[in-house]
Amino acid sequence: MKRHVAAVAALVVAASLVAGCSGDSGSDPKTFEFWSFTGINQKADVEVYTKAHPDINVKLTEVGSTTETAQALTAALAGGKVPDLVLIQGDDLPKFMQAPDNFLDLNSRGADKIKGNYLDWVMNQSTTGDGKIIGIPTDVGGLAIAYRTDLFKAAGLPTDRDAVSRLWPTWDDFLEVGKRYVGATGKPFLDNAPTSVYFQAVNQGTQRYYTPERKLDYGNAQVKSAFDLTLKFLAANVTAKQSSFSAGWTAGMDKGEFAVVAAPSWMLGSIRTNAPGTAGKWDVARIPGGSGNWGGSYLAIPKRAKNPTAAWNYINEMQSPNAQLEHFLTSGALPSTPSVYADPKLTSRSEPFFSNAPIGKIYTDSVTGLKPFYIGPDDGPIGTEFLNVLVSVEQGKVPPDKAWSTALANVKNAVEK
Amino acid sequence: MATILDPAVVTRKPPPAPHGGIRESVRERLAPYGYIAPFFLLFAVFGLFPLLFTFYVALFDWNPIGERTFVGLDNFTRLVDDPRFWNAVRNTFSIWVLSTVPQLLLALGVAHLLNHARLRASGFFRMSVLVPYITSVGATTIVFGQLIDRDYGMVNWFLELLGLAHIEFTASVWGSHLTIAAMVMWRWTGYNALLYLASLQALPREIYEAAAVDGAGQWRQFRHITVPALRPIIVFTVVNSTIGGLQIFTEALLLSPSAAQTCGAARQCQTLTLFLYEQGFGRYQFGYGSAIGVALFVMVVITALVNFLLVSRSRAER
Repeated sequence: MKRHVAAVAALVVAASLVAGCSGDSGSDPKTFEFWSFTGINQKADVEVYTKAHPDINVKLTEVGSTTETAQALTAALAGGKVPDLVLIQGDDLPKFMQAPDNFLDLNSRGADKIKGNYLDWVMNQSTTGDGKIIGIPTDVGGLAIAYRTDLFKAAGLPTDRDAVSRLWPTWDDFLEVGKRYVGATGKPFLDNAPTSVYFQAVNQGTQRYYTPERKLDYGNAQVKSAFDLTLKFLAANVTAKQSSFSAGWTAGMDKGEFAVVAAPSWMLGSIRTNAPGTAGKWDVARIPGGSGNWGGSYLAIPKRAKNPTAAWNYINEMQSPNAQLEHFLTSGALPSTPSVYADPKLTSRSEPFFSNAPIGKIYTDSVTGLKPFYIGPDDGPIGTEFLNVLVSVEQGKVPPDKAWSTALANVKNAVEK
Repeated sequence: MATILDPAVVTRKPPPAPHGGIRESVRERLAPYGYIAPFFLLFAVFGLFPLLFTFYVALFDWNPIGERTFVGLDNFTRLVDDPRFWNAVRNTFSIWVLSTVPQLLLALGVAHLLNHARLRASGFFRMSVLVPYITSVGATTIVFGQLIDRDYGMVNWFLELLGLAHIEFTASVWGSHLTIAAMVMWRWTGYNALLYLASLQALPREIYEAAAVDGAGQWRQFRHITVPALRPIIVFTVVNSTIGGLQIFTEALLLSPSAAQTCGAARQCQTLTLFLYEQGFGRYQFGYGSAIGVALFVMVVITALVNFLLVSRSRAER
């Protein structure tokens, strides 16, 4: 008898394990599941949508950070329960573009008719070589420089954003301003060089780590010039050597240890939350070099989604140019639809935390006329390897004259084996 | 009369029927297996199967959401040629030695003190040493990270008070290894001390008293009573902390948030498990990640075996 009890208990455990893997709730055409990451306020969009369509039930899950969301999606695609709709951050997209069969080709739902609404180079990144559309872009990052007006004033520099923008048409001018600031105050000018210079400058070229023919080419002249530029900033010793997003960076920002942070539009939220005490002391100027983009996200529908129709209806409505404009006004995420860039609602949007800077205008200016470059599957790891070598130079662990060869060797080892 | 008073006879059951008796004895023999079955079932599902499957995946170029191609031992030949792998091996063993050796020595000392007859509020102290163990690793790492921060950390604040320059602990190999070792020690010393204490408690106090009467001081009591009595449990803790120490992950992952998967820009404290995580889950190279897992498995088995033999031989010699 006891043996039977034990055997039954074992069976129950086994049965529940199996059931756990194949849990399945019936699909309801009025309900769809939506995975997003935190910090981008998709909740507001979902509320707008369900107010207009009270019969639709959107089950929104904020999975975690952008990376965690991509990892959860990978696990789901590999054999779990997939959402009907998922938000993918631009840096994670190339990995999914390598296996496009996991996603619905949105052309089948009419994406080909609306793709003209979006910036072509953004749309290119979610379009496969044979023309399948995997994702619809929800926002772009743009590039700009956030600076402390009070610290600029103390250093004898202009504080007006147009005058400040005129100080640095090029990165070399930017470095000269940095030297002036350090000379006048004795304090660091910039938070760090690897993120605030390299990651911006490398995003301003016509080519990054791949050729337009989608071939690996990370040692090209454009990458090298962004790399060498960063080494110049390190040699001039104008940075606080605080790695972006580290504890010291947050504390330093709050204490005014440095006056300048390179800021894609999503960085403004990071400054606001990490240094709330500095409200009103910041302003936003143009990025040296004029234009560029870092960041942005895409909405995609997994092929195994239970309710792709409801998910597509949501994309179609909430990613229209007007809906993206509304989303920008509530969340600050920059629209990927150039038709609204001249809209007075966008150009007049100002940010009190940043001295009422017209962020809509500043950031959309940085992405219009941008030349597209191909972003390949290994862009993420390649960028990380370059960044890490520059950080090592900053920390005194790699001599500057060995930096480029070290970086090439590290990248080769990481992606060409 | 005599038979009635014999307790064996009084309590004996009536002789069972022949065929029922066989069934009974078979049941009784099988029952224990039934009781332990749930563990082995769970172990098979969550332990053995993943282990064997890892060996299988390691033979493939395996993208979890895309293609998988059989590549034989290519992942292993690539691993042997990969400087990042050997760097991770060095880091893992360095952190393991730096954390395990002082940790177990310290735990022995703490156990000896906690077992002291004249210790007041011993319950309080015994409970206290376990607090680090029940604190989440994540919280521990974040607090340690703040303590050693280059510009605003308390450790550097003290260094400044002493007129010394600030140290960026996480940037250097030794600094980062020592920081992780300190976290591991902080967490596990109390746990091991309690294990030692438990077996010390089984030791009659009279032995210590007799030793004290014979004039043995604290050190001699420790050396000649505590340590020999603890040998079996020391073998256990050495093997256990070898297995744990070679698989350090969370501390390394959370130490440098700006370069988390490599534990710093120069992979200065990237352990094998973190390298596995970077390749498997950061890069989605499940095959290569699995090969790292297999290599780690082999290393843990060998190291634990060597440790076991060393420690038990030293016991046999005495």
